[in-house]
Amino acid sequence: MNMHTQPQRTSAETALIDAFGDRLSLLPGDGAVMLKRDDAIEAIKHGLPTRRIESWHYTDLRRLLNAVPDFDPAAMTKAVAPIVEGSAVLAVLNGKSDAKTPAVEGVTVQRLSEKLTDGSAAPGLDPYGSDDAIGALNTAFVADGYFVDIADGAELEKPIELQNLQAGGQTHVRLMVRVGAGAKAVIVERQAGEGAALVSSVSQLVLGEGAEVTWLIVQEQPETATHLAQFKAHIGKNAKLTLFVMNAGGRLVRQEVMVRTTGEGADFKLRGINLLAGDTHTDVTMVLDHAVPHTASTEVIRNVVTGKARGVFQGRINVHQYAQKTNAKMACNTLLLSDDGEFSTKPELEIFADDVVCGHGATVTEIDHDHLFYLMARGVDEKTARGLLVKAFVAEVIEELDDETIVDALEAKLDDWFVTHG
Amino acid sequence: MPAVQDTIDRVRKIDVDQYKYGFQTEIAMDKAPKGLSEDIIRFISAKKDEPSWMLEWRLEAYRRWLTLDEPTWARVHYPKIDFQDIYFYAAPKSTPGPTSLSDVDPELLKVYEKLGIPLREQEILAGVQKTDASELEEVSDNVYKSGRVAVDAVFDSVSVVTTFKKELAQAGVIFCSISEAIREHPELVKKYLGSVVPTSDNYYATLNSAVFTDGSFVFVPKGVRCPMELSTYFRMNEKNTGQFERTLIIAEEGAYVSYLEGCTAPQRDENQLHAAVVELVALDDAEIKYSTVQNWYPGDAEGKGGIYNFVTKRGDCRGDRSKISWTQVETGSAITWKYPSCILRGDDSSGEFYSIAVSNGYQQVDSGTKMIHLGKNTSSRIISKGIAAGFSQNTYRGQVSAHRKATNARNFTNCDSLLIGDQCGAHTVPYMEAKNSTAQFEHEATTSKISEDQKFYVMQRGIPEEEAIALIVNGFVKDVIQQLPMEFAVEAQKLIGISLEGSVG
Repeated sequence: MNMHTQPQRTSAETALIDAFGDRLSLLPGDGAVMLKRDDAIEAIKHGLPTRRIESWHYTDLRRLLNAVPDFDPAAMTKAVAPIVEGSAVLAVLNGKSDAKTPAVEGVTVQRLSEKLTDGSAAPGLDPYGSDDAIGALNTAFVADGYFVDIADGAELEKPIELQNLQAGGQTHVRLMVRVGAGAKAVIVERQAGEGAALVSSVSQLVLGEGAEVTWLIVQEQPETATHLAQFKAHIGKNAKLTLFVMNAGGRLVRQEVMVRTTGEGADFKLRGINLLAGDTHTDVTMVLDHAVPHTASTEVIRNVVTGKARGVFQGRINVHQYAQKTNAKMACNTLLLSDDGEFSTKPELEIFADDVVCGHGATVTEIDHDHLFYLMARGVDEKTARGLLVKAFVAEVIEELDDETIVDALEAKLDDWFVTHG
Repeated sequence: MPAVQDTIDRVRKIDVDQYKYGFQTEIAMDKAPKGLSEDIIRFISAKKDEPSWMLEWRLEAYRRWLTLDEPTWARVHYPKIDFQDIYFYAAPKSTPGPTSLSDVDPELLKVYEKLGIPLREQEILAGVQKTDASELEEVSDNVYKSGRVAVDAVFDSVSVVTTFKKELAQAGVIFCSISEAIREHPELVKKYLGSVVPTSDNYYATLNSAVFTDGSFVFVPKGVRCPMELSTYFRMNEKNTGQFERTLIIAEEGAYVSYLEGCTAPQRDENQLHAAVVELVALDDAEIKYSTVQNWYPGDAEGKGGIYNFVTKRGDCRGDRSKISWTQVETGSAITWKYPSCILRGDDSSGEFYSIAVSNGYQQVDSGTKMIHLGKNTSSRIISKGIAAGFSQNTYRGQVSAHRKATNARNFTNCDSLLIGDQCGAHTVPYMEAKNSTAQFEHEATTSKISEDQKFYVMQRGIPEEEAIALIVNGFVKDVIQQLPMEFAVEAQKLIGISLEGSVG
């Protein structure tokens, strides 16, 4: 994953390589899957990415990943209540999927361990390129997860909630979802747990023609966990994907979003809020490929940085040569509330087609003094006024989701965070 | 607006294929052997009659350079450069150190006339030949009124002549070639050379430190407002040579200077390397304005030949309330790779960067700026306009960062790209790093083609398509053109017209 020969392996690199040797006999997979695992661990043997690798410029994984816990197969954890009541819950507990899954009309669920064993999951296991450390890590170690198939035309009334709950140690999970033509669904991806775990989680979504999906990622790892996640999606003809990402926890977090429009009329929306506190590092990196003509995308990311937190947003929009009439807009706004915090952003446009409208904007600032004055002049004390303004700043993004139950559920999560970190 | 035919003619004249400065001149040259080694560096240093500390400085840079790898992160592609196949020193054979224009080879002066830089006429008109001091004063009064420009002409590896020296000296301004400065003002050179771009800075800056042959030196003492625009005109002529110039500009407390730089080269099939280093130092309340119109040979329509322009330019706002402003119009070079930067060290200092980068044919541009906010209440402004046509790749890459102690840092960045044709690419890669909560950074970027609405609006008023596009493009770059000194603004506008030839439609 790195052209430079590393002088010496870090303890984390050694621990990962050793763990692979120990785990190998326990990992499910046919020949094809095992070959991919071997390739993936080879990539890790070349060294974890450093800041010299452009896509990891602000998250030097080699330096930041300083401890890799052992696997803890005996640890127990329980599924949690879904954020939207009545959702069908599919939980992966300490890296293992549940054999019993709720029955939902139009939805077929299979445990990923079965698909690894019979080799049918193999084609999706390739990392995204030589810099894809998360993909490689996950491919090497993934043991379980779910494969969810939503039939053509199925319109789900209630969300499906995929829970990845760690119990310390290492957890490597993959969630694969295929949404058939014309189907409609809301899918919630919960990432949480209790221990100082190392989590790698890869979600893969394929949207058929005219499908409409809202996917919510709610990440609330404890401040001791390392969370390395990836979301990959292909959006078919006239299909619509709204992805909402909320990061509100974790010690070292990297959430990658890799989306490709594969059919004309595809529409992608990304809305994200990063609530950063403590001595943590959170990185959201998006690579969006407009690969066909007549597709649109908008991305809005809002960040709140407190304490000694460090935040990163990298967003790259690639417009391929034949992707004429692309319309892409990206915005990243940050409220930097502490002098010890920092935020780095790199919004990139790579454009090879001429008949496009693309733009991006980025701001970093503190709370507007005029706004603060406005509230305080009306008798609101400074602390409350600041709280109101910060909350309004992020809630604006949540409110764009047009489903009321989801908006309420996410705003409740937001309130929780402000209670503990306000 | 000129008539259509006029536009077409004008545009044709300045086509990529008909690069107007592509002529070459037969001038007897004095060259060092090809290749790079410690001996060559000793040769250059000896040729320049340099003191031993300078030679040591060069050798140290060379030894460091040997340990470095060529950087590959920029979005430019080119075959590996063979540094042993380049002449690192080429100078017109001439009487050693011409002191006045009359000593200069007339062939050389003709070159500059052809380039539209009539060195002789300018001096004669200004009456510099008169040596009487009282008359000189009279002359300098005229100079203030007519806004003349003092020129340092650099031909391949050496500075051939510097005009208006005496008058500038009267104001206390030192304007000469850097070789001369090393000999005449070693204390200043020692103090400032390498203090902004250290010898260890990057691959090409280190190479430059080892082999630089000439360039300009400007020193504006405390409280002096430089009485005229200063300018350096770079010309690469010899085959297989690299040009490594070094420019050092120092503005002491309260001083002001405006400096222009222009560059051209003959049309050749092989690529030539130009690796310059420019260092600016602004002390308390000083202001430096640095403008570049870069029109190196861009290669032919098939992408053959052209200049590799790998330049390190950096300004240090060392003093409080100092200001450095970069303005660049980039139309030439096969590959441009440069990031004129400002280090905002002093409190209340400010940096500006205005850029127009036009690429056509197979040109590759990776350019932008860095604004490093270190002092309190510092501000910076970046306006970048990229226009890509043909098969070219045009990248804006910029960094804005506020360090922990940089309270109230303020930045505004705007970079727009215009695409003409579907075979070219426009890319924007801004880096924003805020480590202070009082920092206020704004960045906006857009990419689009000329909208049909805009074109329709202009055309329905009876303006033909070609002119309509020229009008819209000029409007697009207006923010930057306005920052250029008058003489350059006109030239720049023409250049933009030329560079876009063939892309209309």
